[in-house]
Amino acid sequence: MTVHNLYLFDRNGVCLHYSEWHRKKQAGIPKEEEFKLMYGMLFSIRSFVSKMSPLDMKDGFLSFQTSRYKLHYYETPTGIKVVMNTDLGVGPIRDVLHHIYSSLYVELVVKNPLCPLGQTVQSELFRSRLDSYVRSLPFFSARAG
Amino acid sequence: MVDAVLFEFLHTEMVAELWAHEADPDPGPGEQKMNLLVLESMGFRVGQALGERLPRETLALREELDVLKFLCKDLWVAVFQKQMDSLRTNHQGTYVLQDSSFPLLVRMASGLQYVEEAPKFLAFTCGLLRGTLSTLGIKSLVTASVAALPACRFQVVVQRS
Repeated sequence: MTVHNLYLFDRNGVCLHYSEWHRKKQAGIPKEEEFKLMYGMLFSIRSFVSKMSPLDMKDGFLSFQTSRYKLHYYETPTGIKVVMNTDLGVGPIRDVLHHIYSSLYVELVVKNPLCPLGQTVQSELFRSRLDSYVRSLPFFSARAG
Repeated sequence: MVDAVLFEFLHTEMVAELWAHEADPDPGPGEQKMNLLVLESMGFRVGQALGERLPRETLALREELDVLKFLCKDLWVAVFQKQMDSLRTNHQGTYVLQDSSFPLLVRMASGLQYVEEAPKFLAFTCGLLRGTLSTLGIKSLVTASVAALPACRFQVVVQRS
């Protein structure tokens, strides 16, 4: 069980943060392109899900999985999107993604006077706290499963 | 009790607003000092008012050291919801107050990142200390220094005429 990587986007599609822990295969395109691709896909999936939903939508798009990995998605009312790729053994982690937003992003970036919002996060403190938080998760093991 | 976050956001904006008015792209040290002075005098007036409002018993504040202890305990708890971590003195009018995790700095970094910007966020608090001391009858000079965030120290030098 492991976490592959994590993206953080704001409401304008700016990638605020990206970290990876276990990624065996890269996308083959520059990072800028990759972020745009990811954001564009999420945008399309969200509107698709809400249009095609046979019932009233509650939380909207939550996750998708392939035969090798699972992508988890969490969006806040302010448009901040937290995207985490894990392996298949991991169940719903909405609360984990919410914690990353409220206790890490809001506390260390929004409340940091020296971090301008709407740009990639430069704060070392945010990076290191996020890293240790993810490593402490029960479904993160140092060896890629 | 109000949410501490309100003061933090207001303080952040005060600092940002002062620095946003730098007209030339390369401000000389004079401009920086002006801004720090403005912040410090704002803190001074707030401290003067707090000094009138906070102390509960007048008898407890007879000695200079008691006043400093009051700053470290009651003032810090009222403004920052925690006590100062250590107070040292040379018993000749110089006091060093150390806070190992200063609330206005604790969200910024844990180490050396942003060390040059840190003084901007300490100026108001220096004034706060100086103002409270002045209402309680002690004229002083307060400076602050940061070696590694979020720990900082405030040095109070009592001016005896």
